[in-house]
Amino acid sequence: MSLPLPALLAALANAQANEVAPALQLLGQADAPDANYAGGTAATSALILMIAAAETAARPAREAACADAARPLIGEAADGRDAREAALGVLLAQGDRNALALLKAEAAAEWQVLAGLMLPPPVPVE
Amino acid sequence: MPAEHLVRFLSTRWGDTVSITGLKRFHGGSARQTYRFDATGASGRCEALVLRRDPPSSLIETDRLAEYRAIQCFAGTDVPVPEPVFCDEGPESFGSPGFLMREVPGGAAAGLLEPEPYGEHAAAIGRQFFTALGRIHAEDPGKAGLSAMAPADAASARLAHWKAAFDADVFRPEPLLDAAFRWLAANLPPPPERISIVHGDYRSGNFLHDGAGRLLAVLDWEMVHPGDAHEDLAWACDPLWSNFSGRPAATLPLAEAIATWEAASGLRLNPASWRWWRLFAQVQGLVIWISAAREIIDGRSHDPVLMFAGTIPYRFHTLTLAQSLEAVL
Repeated sequence: MSLPLPALLAALANAQANEVAPALQLLGQADAPDANYAGGTAATSALILMIAAAETAARPAREAACADAARPLIGEAADGRDAREAALGVLLAQGDRNALALLKAEAAAEWQVLAGLMLPPPVPVE
Repeated sequence: MPAEHLVRFLSTRWGDTVSITGLKRFHGGSARQTYRFDATGASGRCEALVLRRDPPSSLIETDRLAEYRAIQCFAGTDVPVPEPVFCDEGPESFGSPGFLMREVPGGAAAGLLEPEPYGEHAAAIGRQFFTALGRIHAEDPGKAGLSAMAPADAASARLAHWKAAFDADVFRPEPLLDAAFRWLAANLPPPPERISIVHGDYRSGNFLHDGAGRLLAVLDWEMVHPGDAHEDLAWACDPLWSNFSGRPAATLPLAEAIATWEAASGLRLNPASWRWWRLFAQVQGLVIWISAAREIIDGRSHDPVLMFAGTIPYRFHTLTLAQSLEAVL
């Protein structure tokens, strides 16, 4: 994912303490000056929490599968997301379509985590 | 909350003792903080207004005066926009730079993940949406206070803009984006027929509609700039803004959307430009989502909207960009 999980979880904890908890105090109060924003913040924060949970559960198996798939092409660099992406990027810059296929497969696997949140795959506009 | 600033500013501007009620901040939209409120003077004058002001940390650094001038340019025309009231480039009036508009009553904006947000009115909304876009592109950029630009620079200037943002904010290897930047630089499109006002973020979710098939106002002009009209069209038609419908902006079929835009703009779609700007749209999106993630990583923000941008739209565009690169590399 774009946001590394530790950074996402740290920010989420910060948001829960500083935005969502005070926001919850405002929910249901018709005259609360920021109730609309509070509701949106609480809802988005809940969605992010679900994404983080799904990612935590899915990541080990996905990482292992992506590393296994890339190892024949890039060897030990396949282990670890950043090293793998960097090595595949070098090959992609040389026109290697196998590298592109592996990068696409990893992107599809990352999107698949969101399928558990009822998000369908991207639909082309053509 | 900006209530004290608003009381002080409007009391001075109206020459009246003004009170503020119904102050509400809208959720989302990280480039600006947006509030609506009712201002009531002791004399009985009452106005429903909207304040857009700079946040402490933003998804995109933009110029509020350019945004305000663009809204002024179209106020009272057949491109529906909120009525502008006042802009302050400094923090004196509103606590941070910002501007006031009159509220557009009864409007709703579509959510990114909302299926079929316009229901049975999708086609009607689409015709108005793409007609308004064409009319924006038919207008003289000078009227919006935008600087002159050579048509030959339109694509390269935008590419340079987003490449600089990417270089500033990237925090891990992004080989798909690297490949896309290389392809875009090596395959620049032909210059546009003319330089247009480019809204910069023209999409589903950035306009208000009345729920009954009427487009009420085009919003969120903070990324306005001079350029190639294909840029807006490609962004508006990007799959991310289609609500998983396969139709641009979850409205019309693509061919009809383009025909509607052509009729209103007086421009013709250039297939080579279209291909380039469609890939560019995904690159622009990804850079924005990476910048959002960077705000979180660096601890400048813990806004869940930026976390959202750094996860769902990021993954969406990473996947669609990989698919698009297969077709061009």
